[in-house]
Amino acid sequence: MAKEPGKEIKHTREDTEQPLVLPGIHRYQFFSNLKDRGWTMNLDRVALFGVVAALLATILKPLARGNPATIYCYECRACYATQDRCPVGIFFQAELAVAARVGDYDRFIRNGGLKCIRCGNCQSYCVQYLPLPQMFGAMQEDTREAIRRKLAPRYVLARAMREGLVGKEFIDDVVKALG
Amino acid sequence: MEILGYITLTIFIGLMLATLFGYIRTPVQTVLVLSTVLCLVVGGFFRYFSSGWDAVMLLPNEFLGGIILHPITALLTGLFLAGGLKASGGFEALKVILRYLRKSPIGLVGTLVILINLPVISSLPCGRILAAALLPLLFTFSFEGGMGILTKSQAIVLIGAFTRNAMGSCGPSPIGGVGQIGEGFLGSFFATASEGILRAPQAFSLMLGTAIVALFLKFISQRLYPNDVALRENPFTSGASEREEPEISAPMEGYLALVIFVASLLIAIFQPFGKMPVQTILVAGAVLMVIVCRVRLNSLMEGIILLPVTAMTAGFLAAGALAATGGFDALGIILNSLVGVPFLGIAGMLAIFVQFQTILPLSCARILTAALVPVLYLFGPAKFGFLDWSQLAIVMAAYIINATTSCGPSPLGGGGMMGEGTMRAETGFIKGAYTFASMAIMAPLAAIYMKFLNLSVFQPSDPAFVRDVLTIVQFTLVVVAANVALLALGSRLFGPDQSRNWLLQTGGFIAAGGLAGGILAFALFETNPSAIIQGMVGGMIAAILIGVMAPKVLSRRLTATLSGPEL
Repeated sequence: MAKEPGKEIKHTREDTEQPLVLPGIHRYQFFSNLKDRGWTMNLDRVALFGVVAALLATILKPLARGNPATIYCYECRACYATQDRCPVGIFFQAELAVAARVGDYDRFIRNGGLKCIRCGNCQSYCVQYLPLPQMFGAMQEDTREAIRRKLAPRYVLARAMREGLVGKEFIDDVVKALG
Repeated sequence: MEILGYITLTIFIGLMLATLFGYIRTPVQTVLVLSTVLCLVVGGFFRYFSSGWDAVMLLPNEFLGGIILHPITALLTGLFLAGGLKASGGFEALKVILRYLRKSPIGLVGTLVILINLPVISSLPCGRILAAALLPLLFTFSFEGGMGILTKSQAIVLIGAFTRNAMGSCGPSPIGGVGQIGEGFLGSFFATASEGILRAPQAFSLMLGTAIVALFLKFISQRLYPNDVALRENPFTSGASEREEPEISAPMEGYLALVIFVASLLIAIFQPFGKMPVQTILVAGAVLMVIVCRVRLNSLMEGIILLPVTAMTAGFLAAGALAATGGFDALGIILNSLVGVPFLGIAGMLAIFVQFQTILPLSCARILTAALVPVLYLFGPAKFGFLDWSQLAIVMAAYIINATTSCGPSPLGGGGMMGEGTMRAETGFIKGAYTFASMAIMAPLAAIYMKFLNLSVFQPSDPAFVRDVLTIVQFTLVVVAANVALLALGSRLFGPDQSRNWLLQTGGFIAAGGLAGGILAFALFETNPSAIIQGMVGGMIAAILIGVMAPKVLSRRLTATLSGPEL
């Protein structure tokens, strides 16, 4: 297709001579009609990609972090029935399981994850009898590593110290990180 | 940071309302992802300036934490198994069995009533599992489905009532149901709460609510939206009895697949081989079908419906972003502040609170329940002290049944859309019926059941067991009779003017909402007249919000909203 001076080339989706973005994908096939399709097809594709990517990340992250049992958590919160039977006063065990699945240090520390002594009292309330102590233990080690590598924000650690959310085993690491 | 929560809550609710009312015409997944991105961008800015870059870097993990894998994977495995059942001729086998049942003493009606209540009987952790498997079967009862036993109107009622029952059965499920979120919190006072303190109130009110949905679909929805169901009328209706019924036969593989299907469900429910995820059992069932019934893997994959899966995931993402940016905290503060509003007080605020998930129905009840049950817990002795433990259990029962049934009327990828698709109805057709039943029947009856029966079971100090059962019967009769009277009156007053019909429907919602709020207040504060009035006012406010959200006309508007303008 020869370019005439002063005349803008208007590609259509069917043009076979338009530039290729990826093998088999024409640039204008996806982007030329944005004014008509910006709110529909392209945006939808990006959104669906986001949905699928997020879903995959949620499944692959715990596998990669060596905490696969967290995938099986129903998040039914039956473990909240532990209540007073938790010797260190953790009330929201499911929050710890979710935090362990996605590697959310803030959520884990905020809900008392660093206080957990892995006694297993909460495990008996789990409808699937998931290995909660092991799940929390693995996340505790991840969090310790994150604290050492300064990945956990200071304000999270400072708040945890202030509210008594750090167990004996982790005090040294937290104090060192806070300087 | 409080202001951030209000901003992100406004973004989320604004986008949802714009989608529901048709101002944004893109699929719901896109809108939910857009809401997620906007909330994260705003949240990122706030965090950067208040806590630095480290806090911003935590945001992706925090919003991913919003994804609840269990209902997504349970749905996928349920659809997988349903695909196998369909491919192996299992539905044909079911048709044969149903034909024998119809000729048994329970007859056709008895058979259908059992079918409709099958979800609550089996109580799986996600209603979509059974709905995906059985909706194609229910469709076969219609003329287009092949059997032609039911008229168009009857098929609508059957499919609609079954879907209602299914999209609520995740509440009383003992294997990871939504109700267990509430039971976990109540466990701090009622030692045996985790054994199912909320289960019976939910199952009881769900069964009665299903019956009211059937009446609503028959007398209200079909008159309000007369041209929005594409099912055809049976041309042989007049001489149906004389018409020869088509011979139905099923291959041996179909019967085997049916046995595997039922066995999988029973093992999933009763867990005879020890505790294991329901997904594992369903996938094992599907693999067994592949081996025994020679079903191809492709056939299993064909059973998977992606819309509810992607919509649910997108919903979780949006909720995760909202939680990470303090949106739910802001919602809790707003609801808490309603206590100080004149004419509302605690009873009025709670009457609105228990209906909140029906006011804003999302694709899965767990999204909001996980965020709002802790707020409700704080209304009890744990923090604010508005309620004692018994009162908290009563409100929890009303809230949880209302919440678990909220995925039914959700046009954002809710389970009710599966029913609408099966009955070839426009999106929104079932919304009025489903929201009415949740609001007017299920919430008040669950509260009454909890007050007069379940509390005495879980705190066995009440000697007046028989009197309490009779009280429940009396209340049930009053609530059901009042709502049936409203439906009958509405159907008589309906005319050709759709706007007037919709206004009448909204009026009915308000009356029923007032009654529901009053009963909830009575269950909590007994004969305190000011509390009952406050409850009625709160109930009416909730009912206005719920009634207004029921679409006035369908006419392909919502389908265009959800599928893009090209359709």
